Amino acid sequence: MSGEKQAALVVDNVSKRFGDAEESVLACDKVSFEVKPGEFVAVIGPSGCGKSTLFNIIGGLLGEYEGDVRVGDVRIDGPHPSIGMVFQEESTFPWRNVIDNVAFPLELRGMDKAQREEKARHFIDLVGLDGFEKRYPAQLSGGMKQRVSIARTLVSQPEILLMDEPFAALDEQTRLLLGDKITQIQQQLKQTTLLITHNLTEAVQLADRIVVMTYRPGRIKRIVNIDLPRPRTSDVVGSDAFGHYVAEIWNDLREEASRGMQDSEATARADRRRV
Amino acid sequence: MASTGEMILKASAADMRRGRASREARIVLTIRLAVVGVFFLLWESVSRSGLIFQDVVPSLFAIGQSIIKLLLSAEFWKNLQVTAFETLTALTIGAITGVIAGIVLGANRFIGDAFEPYVYYLSPTPRIILFPIMIMWFGIGLASKIALGALSSFFSIALSTAAGMRQIDKVLIRVGKSFRATSWQMATKIYLPAMRLPVLNGIRLGFGTSLITVLLAETKLSNQGLGYMVMSIYNRFDMAGLYALLVIVFAIAGLGNMLIGRLARE
Repeated sequence: MSGEKQAALVVDNVSKRFGDAEESVLACDKVSFEVKPGEFVAVIGPSGCGKSTLFNIIGGLLGEYEGDVRVGDVRIDGPHPSIGMVFQEESTFPWRNVIDNVAFPLELRGMDKAQREEKARHFIDLVGLDGFEKRYPAQLSGGMKQRVSIARTLVSQPEILLMDEPFAALDEQTRLLLGDKITQIQQQLKQTTLLITHNLTEAVQLADRIVVMTYRPGRIKRIVNIDLPRPRTSDVVGSDAFGHYVAEIWNDLREEASRGMQDSEATARADRRRV
Repeated sequence: MASTGEMILKASAADMRRGRASREARIVLTIRLAVVGVFFLLWESVSRSGLIFQDVVPSLFAIGQSIIKLLLSAEFWKNLQVTAFETLTALTIGAITGVIAGIVLGANRFIGDAFEPYVYYLSPTPRIILFPIMIMWFGIGLASKIALGALSSFFSIALSTAAGMRQIDKVLIRVGKSFRATSWQMATKIYLPAMRLPVLNGIRLGFGTSLITVLLAETKLSNQGLGYMVMSIYNRFDMAGLYALLVIVFAIAGLGNMLIGRLARE
């Protein structure tokens, strides 16, 4: 049934090459997949599979590419109001407190102060940071700062939430707990989400579908449906089905990751010889 | 629930930090006061010992008396006004041109590569050697001191603005773009606040250098200003008065520095 719904986001035959004629790298090669409304899709692959390139293309920060990324009937070639991005790096504004950070997108739209603060408060509650409205990022932990970034993106009420390894800098326990928070928010808002990650348990914990990418050039190796029950919590990591999915996807991923490792080792050796 | 737990943890950690910090602050303050006390003690004992000609190292009491006398004289306030006007005008000119130059140098790698070495290597040269040229261009009045002061503050402000421009966290710019901020919004809501600290720091350094240069220029060729006043008191060989004036100038320079520093922290 859900297959008949029109996709919220279509990635159609997308390729991207970096560099000049002499030396170039094919970062993405004919990548195609769809994200349906309300669906949580994760893109997973080893370092160097063009995940971040894909993130930047879909977010509209990388305007020139081959193929199409479409939201509705619009081809993405710049930042689109329907897509909200959350970055891997710590990206809160250090000179703004939590509430002003979260209200930032509303401020850009010229919404008046009372209204935008009320809305910001709602999303601060949602990510569980109520009570911290007046704190500055320097006073928060890494996980809290990332939640501020997520709230800041959600406040603009994007149709599609696009996240690039938002928990990469956090420890495993915090990551699992934040995963719960994300699942909860996603189910509450029925938020269409595309998560870019290299973390396998995170992908299986959160996603309805996982797009597995190959090492350079980044192609789609396989798309796996994750039929774990919803509502889901981090308890799911103990289940047999979870283990089964992780093992299955790791099987695909291992090959790619070891190719990536050999490649970077070869580069390091070549560099050493040159020196 | 998790968040209340986090809040409590955070709060107690902050309290501990604050406790340690206040203890340290007390010790630091004690050391600072002790330095001043020891200095006064040494000064007074040298003055009374007669080891050095008494007029060269006057007693603290004489200096204190002179400070009061100076603060009550119309001459001091008139000269202070002149120096303050010269310094602040110089700093304003230096800050406006310096910030603009810094933004251009910092925003464009090509221009930065081409021009920054000149700014960088010219910045530590003593500007006072250009004073004769400024006199020829702007006359012996206030204008030549202002020009020299502006020139001396320009460099530090331009360099720190350029550095601030380059140090902006690139991800913050991507955040702005992803929320489709206009160029004006990018400038006022991201670039300016992100650069505020380095720019204000440059202005603080610029204030110091322009005050030094203005005072120095006034001692060379002038008939008004605190620098002129220092020289005329020296010519009268009024040592207590000279020290008194120096103490006041130090205090003013320190106060100005502190004000700009506080502005930066706000």
